[in-house]
Amino acid sequence: MLEASWRGLADVLAGLSSWRTWKMLAWNDVRRRYRRSGLGQFWLTLSMAATIGGLGLVYSRLFGVNVSTYLPYIAVTFVIWGVISTVVIDSCNALIENEQLLRHVSLPRSLFIYRVIARNLIIAAHNVLIIPIVFVWFGVGVNVNILWIVVGLILLAANAFWIGYFLSIMCARFRDVPQIVTSVMQVVFFITPVMYLPDQLARRGFAVIKWNPFANLLEVVRDPLLGSAPSAWALGSCAVMAVVGLAVVMPFAGRYAPRVVYWL
Amino acid sequence: MPSIRLKDVCVDLPIYNSSGRSLKSALLAQAVGGRVADDRDRSVVVISALNHVTLNLEHGSRVAIIGSNGAGKTTLLRVMAKIYPPTHGAVDVIGRISSLTDLNVGMDGEATGYENVRMRGILLGLTSPQISRLMDDVTEFTELGDYLKLPIRCYSQGMMLRLAFGISTAIQPEIILLDEIIGVGDQAFAARARERLHVLIDAASILVLATHDTNIITQLCSSAIWLSHGRVVDIGPPAEILERYAKNPTPG
Repeated sequence: MLEASWRGLADVLAGLSSWRTWKMLAWNDVRRRYRRSGLGQFWLTLSMAATIGGLGLVYSRLFGVNVSTYLPYIAVTFVIWGVISTVVIDSCNALIENEQLLRHVSLPRSLFIYRVIARNLIIAAHNVLIIPIVFVWFGVGVNVNILWIVVGLILLAANAFWIGYFLSIMCARFRDVPQIVTSVMQVVFFITPVMYLPDQLARRGFAVIKWNPFANLLEVVRDPLLGSAPSAWALGSCAVMAVVGLAVVMPFAGRYAPRVVYWL
Repeated sequence: MPSIRLKDVCVDLPIYNSSGRSLKSALLAQAVGGRVADDRDRSVVVISALNHVTLNLEHGSRVAIIGSNGAGKTTLLRVMAKIYPPTHGAVDVIGRISSLTDLNVGMDGEATGYENVRMRGILLGLTSPQISRLMDDVTEFTELGDYLKLPIRCYSQGMMLRLAFGISTAIQPEIILLDEIIGVGDQAFAARARERLHVLIDAASILVLATHDTNIITQLCSSAIWLSHGRVVDIGPPAEILERYAKNPTPG
């Protein structure tokens, strides 16, 4: 058990130290997707803007919420949710789709998770451009609480890493897991306050958000952008989840990550 | 000094069918305690690809691996390249390995020739100055000129092979693992490719070559390992081993 944990940790650190490799692979992923289109990577931004604009106008009326609160809110949540859900879903294929590389080069498995996270952060960096535009349009201010975003992003990255690492190995062995994960993330989307405001649900005394780890992950990045500090509950539960998750995934990866090449 | 040491190495390869790949089936099998398991419906078949192999290769070794198809030649190369972790036994490899088993590894069809050289360079862990030297070397060797500015999906097969071969052989490794000698492109280029490969092999500390070509074995290798059903039948001078191999390729 302890030996397996050390091997897992060694793989995690070896992946980190080959940062030039995953940075290159992540950029290449983004480039190749939009290589032959005129607007390039900004297609991503444009389609995200269209989604937010359309949803904002329709749902603010549907929910009876002021559009100048609702639209900035979903602009922020959609960008963050995009990162969370695509990292989780992409991680499922992180090892499977690199079969050729893994069969011919001895590389740390964690490298491919860093690549997925980096790729999605690059995409998010394009989408983030929408937020200041929406904020200026609706006169939403930013205050000193924005600094909490550093903590929020660290918590998000740490949790995304262990979830992705675990799923990538599981999915290499069991090929029905990617489908399961996709359906689960669909459900999670509806029980996480991405499309609605958390107090709309809390007012009705429904505690699902408090115990939904994805809602907490969303909150620690979202609230700093919207001008308030994340709740101690959200920060604490994300930190605990990161520590426990990493502690559990290390022996798991130490035991099974080397065997991935036999499963491809 | 570079060396390859294998001690009592076994590799069991699991072969899964679609139900062996399913989490649902695995959980159901747990739930019923495996009592209804039917031997005719084995979802996982295990092939013993290497069986208690012990080997010591030191500096200066020029080794050929011979054996019929499925004898475990490629598996043995992959164990040496640290790609397959052995199921049993220990592997200790010292030295920078270059595994010329797939030249196209890590190439992206949408990226240009130059971008591919750079990406492979980073994959090999090279620094920026080393990558620019690699770039010059590959440009000169492949003679692809302005084609290097185009996405490699536009390349002909011959051009593709030139580029892949040029990159794969640009870095001098200490240990070379080869799965069959690679033939490259038109005659004039094939001659240059052969020369480049031989320079690389001469400078390497250890060469391990899996092949069926007896001419190449006698030309390049000083000893031969004979594999059959994942076991080492014998190790010795190539001429002697090849003669016995020709009489009975799969003993045991």
